[in-house]
Amino acid sequence: MNLTRRIACNPFILKSHGLSSAHFRLLTSKSDPLLEPALASSQHSTEARKPLAPPQYRFVYPEFLPDPNRVYRNPIREKLERMDMINRRTQIDIPEFYVGSILAVTSSDPHAAGKTSRFLGICIQRKFCGLRAEFVLRNYVDNQGVEITYQLYDPTIQKIDIIRLEKRLDSELLYLRDAYPEYSTFDLNMEPEILPEGSPVPLNKTMVKLKPRPWEQRWERKNFVGVSNILEIINEKMTKQMEDHKKPWEKYDLVMEYRKTIPEEEQQEIYAEVYSQLHELEIHRRKIKRSRSFIKPKKLG
Amino acid sequence: MSLLLQNTARGCINALQANVSRINILVPKRDKYKVGVPRLRNPEWFVRKRRTVHDDFITADNKTFIKEVISDKFGPPSLIKGVQTYKTELPKDLSTQLQTAEWNQRYKRCGAIARKIGVVPLWRKDGKRILTTMLQIVDNQVVKYIPPEEYQPAKKLVIPPRKKYGCLIVGAESTDPSLLTKDYCGLFADSGVMPKRILTRFFISPQAYIPPGTPINVNHFSVGDIVDVRGKTINRGFQGVMKRHGFSGMPATHGVTKTHRRGGNIGAGGEKARVWPGTKMPGHMGNKPRQARGLTIWRINTKFNVLWVSGQGIPGGNNSVVYIYDTILPLHRRKTPPPFPTAALGSDESLPDNIWSDELHDFKDSTIFYKPE
Repeated sequence: MNLTRRIACNPFILKSHGLSSAHFRLLTSKSDPLLEPALASSQHSTEARKPLAPPQYRFVYPEFLPDPNRVYRNPIREKLERMDMINRRTQIDIPEFYVGSILAVTSSDPHAAGKTSRFLGICIQRKFCGLRAEFVLRNYVDNQGVEITYQLYDPTIQKIDIIRLEKRLDSELLYLRDAYPEYSTFDLNMEPEILPEGSPVPLNKTMVKLKPRPWEQRWERKNFVGVSNILEIINEKMTKQMEDHKKPWEKYDLVMEYRKTIPEEEQQEIYAEVYSQLHELEIHRRKIKRSRSFIKPKKLG
Repeated sequence: MSLLLQNTARGCINALQANVSRINILVPKRDKYKVGVPRLRNPEWFVRKRRTVHDDFITADNKTFIKEVISDKFGPPSLIKGVQTYKTELPKDLSTQLQTAEWNQRYKRCGAIARKIGVVPLWRKDGKRILTTMLQIVDNQVVKYIPPEEYQPAKKLVIPPRKKYGCLIVGAESTDPSLLTKDYCGLFADSGVMPKRILTRFFISPQAYIPPGTPINVNHFSVGDIVDVRGKTINRGFQGVMKRHGFSGMPATHGVTKTHRRGGNIGAGGEKARVWPGTKMPGHMGNKPRQARGLTIWRINTKFNVLWVSGQGIPGGNNSVVYIYDTILPLHRRKTPPPFPTAALGSDESLPDNIWSDELHDFKDSTIFYKPE
């Protein structure tokens, strides 16, 4: 799923239109086929049939897309899972969030005082799909790094608050485990920052400084954009190994891309099925938000 | 002259024939093992299934004609309970034939053929997460019943069994008969059932007889029942000892050469200087029928014939065929009567789409809170 999202976030693929253009790219013999045919095909497809759900749904509700591995696919299972997910969403408002956003989760906990616990942290990972979708929050509490994995559809979760909605440069921020604590330290009583309605999700371009080795993983091999000092830390041998492990051909591997993504037509089908219910929930959420923000004027005198 | 020659020749031939009859080689007759009778006899429904299809001479018109014939005979193709099949009309007197009988704990009921469609989490009312496997019962129909007197097992047992069970042949997933052999289609001729892709037999008590043509749906089982599920494990091919038996292997370094994933010693010398039978060694792994026993049914979807069964270790890969039986575990035998011999026709229409166990949290219910002490 992570790779899927990484590909999905790639602006190059955003511009082209799913599988059809990929095929076109394979078949065409033009010298510069990348831009024009893609545009032409996109226009053609929009004329043929308009997708019911808005195109940003695949970023807002990524867990509705099934695992692209064909071994795990089954249409009936996926349908029933989606039904359950929608049913849970009628009970709790699961907002739009990304890796890098700061969330606060309130959940029922039998061992906590007062039987509820609240944790605030930066989302460093979102993984899996369907009912088993989960996300990881990270924060420093009492100078100790703490991570909590939450199941997105766990009925013990009472509330998910967005404290700061933003994206980061990478689709996974697991390297924050080996970064200095200031990058993942957030005040547990942070005030939520409210974005104006309809504004795009801001991209936070913070460059993270990693601590010296030893590390949990070999971060230098993972082509992260948001880390500034990797080359200063690693030694000569590791640099050479890093060069050896590079796979520059992967971005041209169309078959790999096909295997790791759900085709656009299928995505549209899936979102068209759940669109009406998700849209209703969105409208309901917006209404509540407005009623909260609007303060009734008092009579003077 | 010629006559004399003829006579002598005839005499020679006679002598030869007499000799041949005398030389006749005697083959010792083995009464103990009857020659020509196989020791294991395949069941009657083990016939060749797939026909070699040469579509060189079939035109598009021919194909549509074949489709028409099929839909005339078996009904139009349609999607029933999430499975692509044909809408075959059931015989009118089927519901009268399907007589409900008195259930007894000793009786053995029919099972069902299902497909394993995935593993998903569900939550209990106390907030605990459990993993369940979804099994979809795919278009099951009873094809034939062989009573215990007529049933001939593959191998005749020396001591005849005390309990006598009949054999119920059940099929699943209707398929295009033009792809199948005549012999295979003949198995379905008497019952009027559409030829099925999957066939299996369930041993049942004669009291649990179900007339051929009866569909078996998810309401054959109910939430809270305990079942056994049989399937064929994933075929992993020839595997080493570490993967096959979970050996720990040997060190990667410290002067170890060429023995990192090997099994090591397989026996001692002296009296037992041989490899003992059953020694764990490399070999073929998987592709064997295995049972997962004592699984609870947590949830049922009547609209798509789906069961949520506890556990994630049910044999077989995703989308593979599994067989569901009432459990044989003695302590988990059912105490309340199930639908016997099976649920009445059309009784699932009155049921709700989703039936949840009392212990489970329905996703429609509100968030779980714990009461402060």
